[in-house]
Formats: sequence, C-alpha cells, structure tokens
Amino acid sequence: MIAVLRRTVLFLALPVVLVMLWWFTSADSIDYARPPLATIIDVFPKTWLTGRITKDILPSLARLAIGYGLALVAGVALGVLIGGSRLLRALLEPVLEFLRAIPPPVLVPILILIAGIDNTMKILVIVSGCIWPILLNTVEGVRATDEVLGDTCRSYRIGGLLRLRTFVLRSASPQIVTGARQALSIGIILMVISEMKAASEGLGFTIVQFQRGFQIPEMWSGVLVLGIIGVVLALLFRLVERRVLVWYHGVRAAERGPQ
Amino acid sequence: MLDIRGLRKVYDGHGRQVEALRNITFQVDGGEFVCVVGPSGCGKTTLLRLIGGLLRPTGGEVAVAGKTVAGPPDGLAVVFQEYGRSLFPWLKVHENVELPLKAKGMARKDREPLVRNAIEAVGLADARTAWPWQLSGGMQQRVAIARALAFQPSVLLMDEPFAAVDAQTRADLEDLVRSVWHQFGVTLLFVTHDIDEAVYLGQRVVVLSASPTTVIEDLAIDLPDDRDQLNTRADARFVELRGHVYSRIQQAKRNAPVA
Repeated sequence: MIAVLRRTVLFLALPVVLVMLWWFTSADSIDYARPPLATIIDVFPKTWLTGRITKDILPSLARLAIGYGLALVAGVALGVLIGGSRLLRALLEPVLEFLRAIPPPVLVPILILIAGIDNTMKILVIVSGCIWPILLNTVEGVRATDEVLGDTCRSYRIGGLLRLRTFVLRSASPQIVTGARQALSIGIILMVISEMKAASEGLGFTIVQFQRGFQIPEMWSGVLVLGIIGVVLALLFRLVERRVLVWYHGVRAAERGPQ
Repeated sequence: MLDIRGLRKVYDGHGRQVEALRNITFQVDGGEFVCVVGPSGCGKTTLLRLIGGLLRPTGGEVAVAGKTVAGPPDGLAVVFQEYGRSLFPWLKVHENVELPLKAKGMARKDREPLVRNAIEAVGLADARTAWPWQLSGGMQQRVAIARALAFQPSVLLMDEPFAAVDAQTRADLEDLVRSVWHQFGVTLLFVTHDIDEAVYLGQRVVVLSASPTTVIEDLAIDLPDDRDQLNTRADARFVELRGHVYSRIQQAKRNAPVA
C-alpha cells in the first residue's frame, strides 16, 4: 500500500511542479502566443468536450490504432522471416538501411499522390514510420534465440506453428516490445503530422486550424490533449508489457538475486 | 534398442579438421541403463548429439529401434546439461512438461495425467505452477527430467545432467534417476565425466578414450540392483570397479597424442 502511494507520488511530483511553474509564469502573460494556462484550461472543456471527441479525437486514434496494428503485424511477420534466414538478412540489409533512413513525413506528398488524401494515406504514413523499429528489433530478437532451447525444440519435434508461438516469438518478445515502444511514440507523432496536410478532421488538423484562426488558447489546449493521449497510451503499453514480459523480468531478477 | 556402429565425426572449420570421434561401436538393449564415461573433451556431447539426431555423423550410423537416425528419432528424449537453458522461461513448470505432448498432437485429457504423473515422479508436485526461474538448479533439472518422462520415450539420453549442481543435490538426483528408470522402464543412456557416478548408476559402463575417441572398454557393473548412496559406494566391488575404470581412463589419457 505504502509502495503504491510512494510510486504515485513519484510519478506525479514532477508533472505537478511543471504545471504549477507554467501556471504562475504565464499568469500575467499578455503575449498572444503564450496565453495564461488558466485561459487554456478555461477554453478546454468547450473546445474538446462538445463533439470534438467523436469528430476529431476518435478518428485520429482509430487511424493510429490501425496503422500501429498493421505495423506491428507486418513488422513482426517480416522480422521473423528475415531473422530466421541468413540469406534473407544478407540480401535485405542494405535495402532496409536505406528505407529506414527516409523520414516518414517526406512520404506524405508521395503518398498523397499514390493513395489520395483520405484515411488510407494517413494510415500508410503511420505504418511507414512505425514498422522499422518493430521490424529491426524483431530480426535481432529472432537471431538471438538460445541454441539449447532450439535443440530442445528439435529433439522434442516441436515444430510449425507451435514452435513459432512458444519458442520464436516468445524468445524475441523482449526485443519486440522494445521496438513496439519506440514505434508507439513515432506513431503518435506521425498521426499528427499526417493530419496537417490535406485533412478535414483529426487532432493535427484541428490544432493547425486553431493556429490559422488565431485561436491561440484553443491551439494550446490541443497540445494538452496530445500530451494526455501520449501519457495514457504509455501507461496502457506498460500494463501490456508487464503481462507479456512477466517471465523476462522474473529471469532478470533471479539472475541479479543473491548468489 | 540402440545400435551404434563405427560412428565417426570430424568437425571441419577454418581450414582445420578436428576428429572428435574416431570409431564408436556399442549396443544398448531395451530397458538397459548404460553410462558412457570418458575424459573431458573426449566428445561425449558430440556422441550424444549424434545419437539424438541433432548432428550428422561423418561416418558410421546410429539406429534406434532398428531405424537409422537421420533426424531426431521418434520416441527419444534428451535431458541436456544446461538445465537453465533447456526449459522455456515463459512457461510454468507444468506447461514446460506438457509442451512436447502438445507437439505430438495429444488431446488435453490424455496429456493431463501424463504431466501430473511425471511431475509427481520427480517430487515436484508442489511446484507445478511455479516458473522455472523460481526454482533451484536441481529442481530445474527435475523439471527437465519430468518433461522427458511425460514424453514416454523408449530411449532417454542424458548429457551430464548433474554437472552443474552441488554434490548433495547431485546424490539426490542420481537416486531419482535410478528410481524413475525402474518405474518407467525406459532405456537410458547417461553420459558423464564422473567415474563414481557412472559406476553407481549404470548396469554397464562404456569407457571412452581421449580424443580422437574410441571405445576402450565395455564393462558390466555387477552390483546389486538395489543401490543406495551409503552402502553401494562403500561396497568393495564398487571400489574395485571404480578403480578399474579410473585406471583405464588414466591409461587412455597417457596414450593420447598431445593436443
């Protein structure tokens, strides 16, 4: 109980301090670009809680979920294939390095030409950025499977899907989770960027609209929404991670434990 | 049950050929308990991997139940030396034991009694739902033995399974192996570098030379079937047999070309 309390306090301490700092330093601000935090919070409910949740926030989050999900599936699937074959690795490594080096935002104009300006384009932008950390980490994870466990599978004839599920994917899961965590923050960034051009709804679009309409407190409140979404998603991710990697943390703790 | 004829293995790497096994021939009858002992570095693990179908021989052949081994043979289970790396850390004890049965395609209701029985036979009934990394080394090796037993192999190979556990645990595990061998009626080939252990456990001891390895003696252990750590090890015949194997191995080491 005390441990939970302690963790909550530690988790909240710095954010509270920063918000208070922002509150007091901006309180008397007359700079139109930096309105007082009190004003931003004041416009928050009527800006976001009156229909924008379903009109802007949910569509953005849906695209993020679909793009991130596709990147996860495709990244892990390709990673397992590439990581499991020395030939494929040698063949694809230079190409992967090239593709990975392209910043996804520059793909926006290209993808607009290819996929149009609707959801498909925005989802593709998210996929094109999220897939790399997942793919490359999965390749590393699959490459590093334990030999003795591999022999165990062979000698007990654990093959096919069962081997994939209980050996390959689980062995690689710490690396896959690392890649997925990096991809999540990239995904949030790309969700916003993909909506800044050729969009008619979404969080990125709304924030740009407010800026163009000189609705500066509303614009800032949009930034707050993004921040909150980021924190909530990171917390959800940590919940999932704790379930998926319970064994990994246990092994690590056992290795560190008293000798 | 096990027929090893003229087995030879040469490792070929980096322009250097290493002859690990020169010529190994011996047989193991169904239900027999045979120990293979030899000086360290004589290729015991190589021999076991060849029998287990995890390696291909350079010459000669291995037959299990009359069938030449070309991959991991049916009805053969292996207990590896590295217990910490042969159990799946993301599966609980009973799931580890159950996995090879799933791979066999066995129905859940048939799997359950086998798993329970095997876990009870190795004295781990209370640790069924523990994670492997929560257990001591000796207990982890018991899980590996339970997994092998649940698989219902006709031949069980053990590769220095107790090399990494402390002396007292080792004595317990030796008695455990004797008792499950009686209980399950399995053919057992036990590889070790420990002469005492080989003589204490086996009905026969196959003595290997130093590398390049041949069989220098195939010795029947005419000790009573009912063995225990205190009396058997104090038995004059045990001391005599141990002394004999010891001197043969010393002799083999002297005759070996200096590597």
